[in-house]
Formats: sequence, C-alpha cells, structure tokens
Amino acid sequence: MRDGTSVTNRISRRTVLTLMGAAALARPVLAAEEERPVRFGLTAVVVRENLQFFERWRHFLEQRVGRPVRFVQRRSYREIMGLLQTGEIDFAWICGYPYVQKREPEFIELMAVPVFQGEPLYHSYIIVHRDNPATSLADLKGKVFAYSDPDSNSGYLVPRYLLASTGASPDNFYRLTFFTYNHAETVEAIANRVADGGAVDSYVWEFMAKTRSNVTERTKIISRSQKFGFPPLVMRSAADPELKRRMQAAIFGMREDIDGRALLGQLALDSFSPPNPSLFDGIRAVAQRMNEGKP
Amino acid sequence: MIFSHPRTWSLSVKLPLTITAVVVGVAITVGMAIVVQERDRIRENLEEKALVIARGVAGVAYEAVLRNDYWGLYKSLISMTAPTESSENPPGILGGMVLDTEGRVLAHMNPETNPVGMPLLAANPEQRKWLREVLETNAPHIHTAQGEKGEYVESIVPVQSEGSVVGMVILHLSTEEIHTRTLAAAGIIFGIAIALAVVGSMLGAYISRRMIRPLNALANGMDTVGRGDFTPVIPLRPRDQDEIGQLVESFNRMTGELSEKRQLEQQLALSEKLAALGRIAAGVAHEVNNPLGGMLNCLDTLKKKPGDEELVQRYLPMLERGLNRIRAIVQGLLAELRTDQAEAWGDGGCVEDVKDLIVAEIGERPILLLWSNQIDDKTCINCGHLQQVAHNLLRNAVQAVGEYGTVSFRTQASGGMLLIEVEDDGVGIPEDVLAHLFDPFFTTRASGTGLGLWITYRLIERMGGEIEVESEVGKGSLFRVRVPAKMVMQSALSGAA
Repeated sequence: MRDGTSVTNRISRRTVLTLMGAAALARPVLAAEEERPVRFGLTAVVVRENLQFFERWRHFLEQRVGRPVRFVQRRSYREIMGLLQTGEIDFAWICGYPYVQKREPEFIELMAVPVFQGEPLYHSYIIVHRDNPATSLADLKGKVFAYSDPDSNSGYLVPRYLLASTGASPDNFYRLTFFTYNHAETVEAIANRVADGGAVDSYVWEFMAKTRSNVTERTKIISRSQKFGFPPLVMRSAADPELKRRMQAAIFGMREDIDGRALLGQLALDSFSPPNPSLFDGIRAVAQRMNEGKP
Repeated sequence: MIFSHPRTWSLSVKLPLTITAVVVGVAITVGMAIVVQERDRIRENLEEKALVIARGVAGVAYEAVLRNDYWGLYKSLISMTAPTESSENPPGILGGMVLDTEGRVLAHMNPETNPVGMPLLAANPEQRKWLREVLETNAPHIHTAQGEKGEYVESIVPVQSEGSVVGMVILHLSTEEIHTRTLAAAGIIFGIAIALAVVGSMLGAYISRRMIRPLNALANGMDTVGRGDFTPVIPLRPRDQDEIGQLVESFNRMTGELSEKRQLEQQLALSEKLAALGRIAAGVAHEVNNPLGGMLNCLDTLKKKPGDEELVQRYLPMLERGLNRIRAIVQGLLAELRTDQAEAWGDGGCVEDVKDLIVAEIGERPILLLWSNQIDDKTCINCGHLQQVAHNLLRNAVQAVGEYGTVSFRTQASGGMLLIEVEDDGVGIPEDVLAHLFDPFFTTRASGTGLGLWITYRLIERMGGEIEVESEVGKGSLFRVRVPAKMVMQSALSGAA
C-alpha cells in the first residue's frame, strides 16, 4: 500500500481522471458521443408507480453502461415503436405482440427476456369484479370489456383470440370496449366496475396482488390463457454495437450483482435471460390466425 | 302575584332591562341579516364550485368523448372530484357523470348502478328538461334539486368540440355544506350577540345605577322638603354636569333659599311680636299713667290738707274711678292673656246668657233688642270665646245707639260655618276710625280701654274665623263674624261629656 500511494502521488491529474473513467465509474470522460444520454423506452408492461425504483435502476444502468440513461415513457406501444424506428430511443421494454408484428425492414432485435417465476413466460388473465357472477368469457356478452392496448398481447390479442375460439366475433360481442393503456389501470377499471371484464398481464396482476392487494382483492380471475413469451426488452438494430453490448451486459449482469438483485426483487422478476426468438412463436401463431380472421 | 305591572317597576330595573332588550334585539336582527347573507353567499359558493368542477371535467373531456375513452373520462371525473389535500372540507359530491348527446352514460362516478353505454336510469323528467335545454342552448345550467340523499345542487356543463356539443358533464353537490356552514356561522354570530347582550346589560345596570342614585336622593329630598324640612342637601359630584346634575344643583339651591327665607320669616315674626309687645307695653304704661297722674295729685293734695273732709269726699271717688280704670285695663289684658285656657263647653243656651247681660246693660233705656239665636240648644258650643265675642260686640252696639235705637243679634250655623251678626242703627264709624278699629288701646270714648274689639279680633283670629265691619256714619254699623263650626261646635253626642 505504501508503494502504491507513492506511485499515485507521482502521476499527473489527467492520468488520474483517465484511470477513474477506466474504472467504469460512469464518469463522462470520452468524446461528445459518449455524453449523449442513452434513451430507454418504457410502456404499460412495467408497473410505473414506483418512481424511486426507476431512479435506482437508471443509476444502476448508468454505472454499467458508462453513459447517462434516460427513461422515455409513452402511453402506447405504437408510440414507443415509432420512437425506436426513428432512432429517438435505442432500447425499449415492449410486448411480445409488437415484437412479432411484421416490419419491413426490421429495425429491432431482441435484447433480453425477463424470467418470471422460473420461466420467461406469462399468461393473459381474464378478470371480472369479485361480485360478478360471470365464470367465463361467454358470460360477458353484451357487457363492457377493458383492453389495455391495441398492440398488447395479453391485454388485447389473447382475449380476442380466446373469444374468437368460442366462435363469437370479438368486434360486436361486447356492448362497449375501451383501452386503458395500462394493465394496472385495467385492474382498477374492473375493481371500480367501470368495465365488467378485462384482460390483464398475469405478471402485472400478480405484482399488484402483492403491492396493491386492496385493488386486486376486488377482482377475480375467471380465465387463464396458455403461456406466452414474456414481454421482451429490445434494442434498435442500428444502434451503436458497443452500446448495445454494454447495455445487454448490464441487463444480464443484474442477477450477478447485489444492487441488481435488489432491483430484480422490486420488479418481482428472477432475472433477465438471453433472448430466444422462438419463445414468441406462440404469439406469432395467434397473431397470424387472428389476422387471417380464422382462429 | 310575583310580577307586578311594569309601570310599578323601579327605574333601576326597567332601564337595564330596556338597554338589554335593545342590545339583544339589535344583535339578533343584525345577526339574522348576516346569517341570511352568509347563507346566500355559501350557496353561491357551492353553485360556483359545482360549476367549476363540472367545467374542469368538461374542459378535458371532449377528446375522450370523441374517442369513446370511457376509462379516461372516468379517471377525469374521479380526479376532479377527489378531495384535495388543501381543502379542509370534502366537496360533498353526491354524483358526477358524463353523458353523450343521446343521454347515454359515458362515465359515472358510480359505475355499478350506472353502466357505461346505457341510458341514464335515474334521470327524472325535470332533469331531462334541463339536459335538453343545455344541449339546445349550449350553455351551462345550474339548479337545486331534491334527491334520495337530500337536497343537492346540480350543474350541467356542455362538453364542446369545435363549437358543437358532444356531451354533458353533470355534477351533484350536496347542499348539506350550506346548512352546516350556516349553522356554524349562526353559532358564532349568536355567540357574539349573547356576549354583546351581557356586556350591554352590565353597562346598562351601571349607567342606570349612576343615573338613578341622584334621582332617588332627589325624591327623598323632595319628600323631606314636603314635610317642611328644608335642610336636605343632595351630594353632587363634580363630574355630574348632565341634566340630572343640573337638577340636583337646582334642588340644592331651592332648599337653601327656602330655609333662608324661613329663617328670615321667623326673624320677622319675632320682631313683629316684640314690636306688638312693645306697643302693648307702651299702651299699658300710657293708660295706667294717665289716671295715675290725677290720683297722685289727689293724694298730694290730701297729704297737704289731712283734715279736709270735703276734699276726702271729692277725691276718694276720683281715686276709686282711677283705680277702677287701671283694674279694667289690667283685667282686659289678663282676659286677653288668659284666652288659651278660657275654653268652657256648653249648649246653645250659653249664648242666651249674654242676652241677660245686655238687657241689664240697656237698663231702662228705650233700646229695642232684636234677638235671633238659631243655635240649637242641643248643639254643644265653645261658650267662653263665643260669649265674650258676642258680649263685646253687643256692648259696643248698645253704646253706639246711645239713648234709643235698635240693636239686632243674629246667629246661624250653616255650611260648616257659624255666623254671628250684630247690627245697630247708631252713630256709625268714621272711615279714619275704621282703619284702627281693632288696634289695642284704640278708643273713641273717654272711659274706654281700647281693648274690647282688639280682644274680640284676637279671639276670632285664634278660632280661625274672620270679622267684617260695614258702617256708615249716622246710619249704623254691622259686625259680621264667621267662624269654622268645627272650632266652636261639637255634635250633641260627643259634646255631652
């Protein structure tokens, strides 16, 4: 230690700063490109009530990526996809349905898939109010139904697919339908009886059951879909490869790190796993059948 | 009766009561006016609030209405009507909803009973009329209605998009707030009124005590003065310069002047008495001195000639006359001085005794005595005084007629007065004599003492009566005496003793 101290004392100030930068302390010491914040898009997939969590997660990512990180929140998946296409954001946490939709040319690629309760999969829950006598989707005929987002898998595509599977036409089965653009608000709409039934991401419902049980207690699940690939994290294909690599490493590395594990714990996720595009084949198949009009 | 008529109450009760009543009356009247005004103001506030909240929802709702974003509308309704942390009172919102132009529910604060997309079930005809009017006029409306949960203010605000109405926001605010806040205001205002009344009555009691103390003293002072005591002086404090103070000052001045005046009167009466005494003493001295001079001369002459029988024969009657005259004067004086004790009660017959005396006095002279005594024998009268008065007057009358004439004597009791008239047709009394008729030692006769009429006058005066003289020289005189009957007469029964 004595030797080390004397060496440090002798080197110049500039060298010290360089060393600190190399030590991945997120100090912006490189070119102007490096100063530009990395923009990360978020959607209704994530429960967005806990702003403190996002602040910590942002801090965590800034440290690992070595650049400022800004989260960009938009109401719909469509807006986030637009931002990805124009390059305003480089990363986003979207849903499986937007991911499988056809794009020419493709401008995104999978970055990571969250692992929830041991597997990178989730359901769509069909929920109604606790006092609602309905036991299946068929009982909701002529009622008010809440979707989350027209590009949501669990909150739009799957419930329509489930209804179409029974031979009904999703477009005129209900008296009214509306979009909440947020899974958590779908649960609230059901709990407050604004809608009679709704479709919600199983991950969000289970998360709320732990953090806001007073809301979920007023709802009940009458139907669970098959498992689908969990809403993935994607990155813009045209983004800086080095940035992509560092971001991916930071995301994957969360489970290896005490801070990262704490953040994962707050998200109620096990980890972020490397992507496997075949994970979304189920969604792709459902989307294809719905687009053909024949489930 | 515990409560007597207010007119009999003391001023020290009435004054504070009046002040208290006035203060309470004014305070309650003003208080009620303020409460009524406050109530109107609170109602206006409430209506304004209902309109502002409904406008707030309508302002952000048009896009959601156009897009059928029922969830967005519901969230707007809930967030606009949620109680804010800054406001202490909850808004008391009974209901809120957004309707489309057909009257269907787009959002409702109570979605369970009012499902979206369905016509508003709870609407009553009056409400429908207002909804139609708002749609037609495109102007907000507010009115008060009665619902299951009590009275409420209903505001209806059109949701507009580029000038056309696409829906309506309806808000129900409970008017309970008006009542609770009015009650609270009334409580404060009437509390102040009661406090004012208490302060006012205390002030009233103090003021009235200050005002009434000198008044009571004045009343007592007047009472004392009324009883003839002019000594009371009411203490006057230097600061009492008001009307009551002036009154007290005037009263004190009056009593002072009265007592001074009485002192002067007493002094005057004393000096008059002394002067009269002096005059009597001088008269006595003079009257006694006159015969004394002659008598001393006689004695002187008799001493010089002790053996002269003729002188003795001549002077002894002179000495006797002189001494008789002195005795008459002294007896007259004694009679006057004894009058206090000369009370002897008897019946009407005692007046008749005087007749005998006068008849004896007249003797053989041809004098006609007309006697008319109307006093009943059974009436008891004060004989001593009346006999003396009658005798004096009659003797004078007999002397006035001289050798022949007529003397009349009349008595009569009527109207509480006893009337005695003595009339003669004698020489009459000249005017210069009339003026001194009742003076002591005033006489026109050489042998007279000048005490008869003076004593008569004094007796009548003492009995509270009066004497009048009508006389014409050469024709005669009339003496008329009026004496209050109660002084000289008693009823037969009580007077028998």
